[in-house]
Amino acid sequence: MTALDRKAASGASRPGASRPGASRPKLSGGDIAFNIVNYSVFILITLACIFPFYYLLINTISDNELVRLGKIQLLPQGIHFENYVQVLKIPGILDALFVSVARTVLGTLWTVGGCAFLGYLVTKREMWLRKVWYRLIIITMYFSAGLIPWYMNLRMLGFLDNFWVYVIPGLVSPYNVILVKTFIEALPPSLEESATLDGAGYTRVFFSIVMPLITPILATLCIFSAVGQWNSFTDTMMLMPSGKFYTLQFLLYKYQNEASSLAALVRNTQDSSALANVATKQTALSVRMTVAMVVTIPILLVYPFFQRYFVKGIMIGAVKG
Amino acid sequence: MKLRWPALALIAVLVAALFLPAVSLHVHSRVEAEIASAVPASASLWALIVRGAAAVHPTLPAMARLETCSLELALGLLLALFSAAALLFPRRRLTVAALWSAALSLAFLGTAVFHWANVDASLLFGMLVSVSAGFYLPLIAAAVLLLWSALALRMKKDEAGESGEPRELALFSSDRKLRLLSGLLALAAAALFLLPAYRIALPSSVTDTPGDAAVLSRSPSLLFLALGREPNLYALSQETGSLKNPISGDLAALNAFSNDQNNVGGAFQIRSAATAANPLLLGVAVLLLLGVLLALLPRVDRWFSVALLSLAAVLLATEVPSLLQVSEADMYASASRQLLLLGLGKLTCVPLLAVALSAAAAAFGILGIRAANEPYFVNPIPAGFRLRFVAVSLCVLAAACMLLPTAKVSFSKPGKNKVLAETTLSGPDVLLFRAGDKLADPADAKGKPVYSPDDPAASPEAVRAGTDRLASRLGLLSWGSLLLVAAGALLLLLQSKWGVPKRVILALLLGALVLRLVSWLALGAGLNRDVASEEGTLYLYASLPLLAFAAFFSNFAALEELPKKYKLFLMMLPFLLAVFLFSYLPLYGWSYAFYNYKFGLPMDQQEFVGFKWFAEMFTNPANRDNIFRVLKNTLGMSGLNLLTSWLPMIFAVFLNEITRTKFKKFVQIFTTLPNFISWALVFSFAMCLFAADTGIYSKLMMQLGLNDPNNPTVWLNSGDHIWLKMWGWSTWKGLGWGAIMYLAAIAGIDQELYEAARVDGANRWGLMRHITLPSLLPTFFVLLMLSISNILNNGMEQYLVFQNPMNRQTIEVLDLYVYNITIASRGTTLYAYATAIGILKTLVSVTLLFSANFLSKKLRGESIM
Repeated sequence: MTALDRKAASGASRPGASRPGASRPKLSGGDIAFNIVNYSVFILITLACIFPFYYLLINTISDNELVRLGKIQLLPQGIHFENYVQVLKIPGILDALFVSVARTVLGTLWTVGGCAFLGYLVTKREMWLRKVWYRLIIITMYFSAGLIPWYMNLRMLGFLDNFWVYVIPGLVSPYNVILVKTFIEALPPSLEESATLDGAGYTRVFFSIVMPLITPILATLCIFSAVGQWNSFTDTMMLMPSGKFYTLQFLLYKYQNEASSLAALVRNTQDSSALANVATKQTALSVRMTVAMVVTIPILLVYPFFQRYFVKGIMIGAVKG
Repeated sequence: MKLRWPALALIAVLVAALFLPAVSLHVHSRVEAEIASAVPASASLWALIVRGAAAVHPTLPAMARLETCSLELALGLLLALFSAAALLFPRRRLTVAALWSAALSLAFLGTAVFHWANVDASLLFGMLVSVSAGFYLPLIAAAVLLLWSALALRMKKDEAGESGEPRELALFSSDRKLRLLSGLLALAAAALFLLPAYRIALPSSVTDTPGDAAVLSRSPSLLFLALGREPNLYALSQETGSLKNPISGDLAALNAFSNDQNNVGGAFQIRSAATAANPLLLGVAVLLLLGVLLALLPRVDRWFSVALLSLAAVLLATEVPSLLQVSEADMYASASRQLLLLGLGKLTCVPLLAVALSAAAAAFGILGIRAANEPYFVNPIPAGFRLRFVAVSLCVLAAACMLLPTAKVSFSKPGKNKVLAETTLSGPDVLLFRAGDKLADPADAKGKPVYSPDDPAASPEAVRAGTDRLASRLGLLSWGSLLLVAAGALLLLLQSKWGVPKRVILALLLGALVLRLVSWLALGAGLNRDVASEEGTLYLYASLPLLAFAAFFSNFAALEELPKKYKLFLMMLPFLLAVFLFSYLPLYGWSYAFYNYKFGLPMDQQEFVGFKWFAEMFTNPANRDNIFRVLKNTLGMSGLNLLTSWLPMIFAVFLNEITRTKFKKFVQIFTTLPNFISWALVFSFAMCLFAADTGIYSKLMMQLGLNDPNNPTVWLNSGDHIWLKMWGWSTWKGLGWGAIMYLAAIAGIDQELYEAARVDGANRWGLMRHITLPSLLPTFFVLLMLSISNILNNGMEQYLVFQNPMNRQTIEVLDLYVYNITIASRGTTLYAYATAIGILKTLVSVTLLFSANFLSKKLRGESIM
């Protein structure tokens, strides 16, 4: 039993803990045993989730020779940042970073903006054939034409080797539309009515009344969409045959297959003095891990700030699965 | 006062930039060491200005022809220095002067940068020239100066406003003057279209004959470029007959190291002599002139001219870089561009100045509107006429579409899947019944007739009979729809005067629409399918919705405003279009499954094979084995996930038993984290953790004695237990995330239930079993049903990143299989087969979904969709 467990277990026995239903005046022996097991299991699960991130980090900042020998398992040794410096010098990696950032920003704005406005429009009962259009949009969630028709369609529309394929096809996402619609329908209708009486048109009502009220759900959608954009690499793989507009994720995927030549590439750009130092010399493994870390860091940086929005979004989503 | 230091700093930067390396030079390995040694590693701006081409190569006389843009550089730097110096003194007039000189300096410096970026690619002198940071520094400084002086102007205005002394120049407060200025600037920008955009003056020593240098020396204006009148070197040499190798002359020595890539004479080997007109540039010129007209005309809403000028400025700003930046492809486009790429001519500042002037014109237009205190757009069309105006303009656009190219006919030999000749039918061709002649006797790219009289299947006469029929039908139908649209538009205009009922107009426009639809459908009629196929152009398709909307709006022509329900529908339309394009249009691709689909051949020349590919799946033993294998993998891995789909629920129930909020939150945050990383990244983790010799897994196994150090277990690359491993990774990634929904559901459980149960003597287990779990079951049921219906769609990313030759047999799921046999293998033969698989998969998924939904309705009385 670790100290943390004990502390946690004693904490749980305190009366007046967060949920009134769970607080008991006295804990029986069975309860204590249950708490110990429960806490330990969750600590283990959490560790299993964090450890790969930590493992990757210590392996990228430790002495590369020790890493190569497999000596770095739990604690970093011989800390240096040469790997990061060298990886950022790989030709094309900054371009890929730019493409990734651009698609994340533009794609998120486009999708969330489109779904927000569309979600607002489909709440308008007076629209001509509203139900028909709504059904037509929602039903696309349940079927897909398949990989080849999808690919050939984008090809026909001229989206091959085109940056905008990352952005434009994402305008309407039925799931997001449902979320926004459900959220707007829960708002008091009087707000909109009063604005309409003052002579505001639909667009104006949307931008000045509805939009500020639905920011929580928009924030959630933004995160989902941004993470999706940042993480996707299969679209690059299929839709960029001539190698334009590679994203960081795709480079990561590519490097996993060709990291040995990559290490040579990195070493070629180094000057001779750095070459002499075995500790900071790049190996295939170190390059791979460092690129993975470079891709992870942005997510780790934004994640804590946005974590609280997930639960809300999921809850609204649960209303209509 | 405090603004002085930045100005001084900018001056320092500008002076320093003079002596920093501006271009770096790398010598081709084939250049003789003697010549190469005289080339410096880099040249500074100062050297380029003062010494010209000699700064790049001091001894080689041939180098003298290299343009260095010294004048532009010197002027640009001087103007930037002046601008910075002017900002030292806070006088309004000086600040205005600083603004102008910064803008001019940007134009000059930008031109020089573009020039050097062009020379950049040139290997003409056995040298690679690249522009380095020193070149961009003054450019950035000039941009900063421009912004700063603009801000300074604004700030002064505000300061003056606060102190109550209006010290604004008369210009900025008078909207009339501003409008005039805006118009004049736009006029100046338009006038710049007549000035040379490049200047190429070759000394006579460059070419074989002195006359050729004169032919090559040219300075095409922007208008000239817009019209596409610029010949390329090949066309020029054909024209003059003498122009053999205009850039030999004293360059003969350097030609020794000209190879395929940097062949000086290469330009002359190009056969295509076509130079395209630039419609965008022409459009900008028209927009500018219209903007001038509208700005100078009194009583026209100011927004019109501002909108036109802004549009012109934006278009010009996007077009000018591609105009100035010469690419490899331009090598063959025009004479001037070829010479620019060879470093033999130079750009003038005209294109960039035109951008600056049109932007300034738009800016002054906006200032004028602000000064006139007229912030909102006033629609000049009277309210009662607006919808009619829209309808009439749509009619006009539709009619215009009928005058534009209508169809493209492609010819091939019977049974061959190569298009040999293509003919586009323009609107006049169709309307004047000339299409038949145009389609007669198609010839391939080399001018050889496609069809010979000896071939019975496709003799010229037989083809001609078909094309004639097509031409006459198209002509008649086009005339019909054109006349109907014209009549409709006319009646719309005269509707109120003559009291035409709207039904008549509607009928006319719908008639036009129907005729247009018929001409689309009739396109193929008469043509021999084996040899010719045709497709409508964008204009043909565009005319259909245009006509539909014209009819739609004609219905409301008499109203002041569109009824709300239609207004909302119009707002919805772009989204519907996107859904159609990206979700419904791909369904058209299902037709591939019924053909022997081949790339590059029009659909109606593909060979129809019916259900062959569907049968192929089960009758061909090799395919059948593969299908059953991937189906087994798909169902196996989905099944494992399905069987353990209760894990997130249990996770949530037990996490809920933890009463320390901080710890709960901590667990929640970190167990959701893996959901937010991509599968590529998960694979990286796997690769590090399970690396054969260094990973922590193999070290651990060695410690436990389960792993032989000399023959370490290959965890990642082996094909054993793949299903379990994949299940492990997807659980690792999705467990915490899946629990969030259950946690949310738990939060919604009525607390009184717990109290009541506790009063009844239930202990912790009892509460969990009898209250928490049962309240989560509905959510669990919905999710279970959804995952059952998605059993075939387990995605491919995860399996794609983990697949390798070792485990392919057991990891390939349906989606991955389809990808592997088509796009990944770069083969195009199996596209039809893969589409057939996709169709079956979608059908099964949809059936499963509906059954699950039906089940859910039966059992719970609630739909899951």
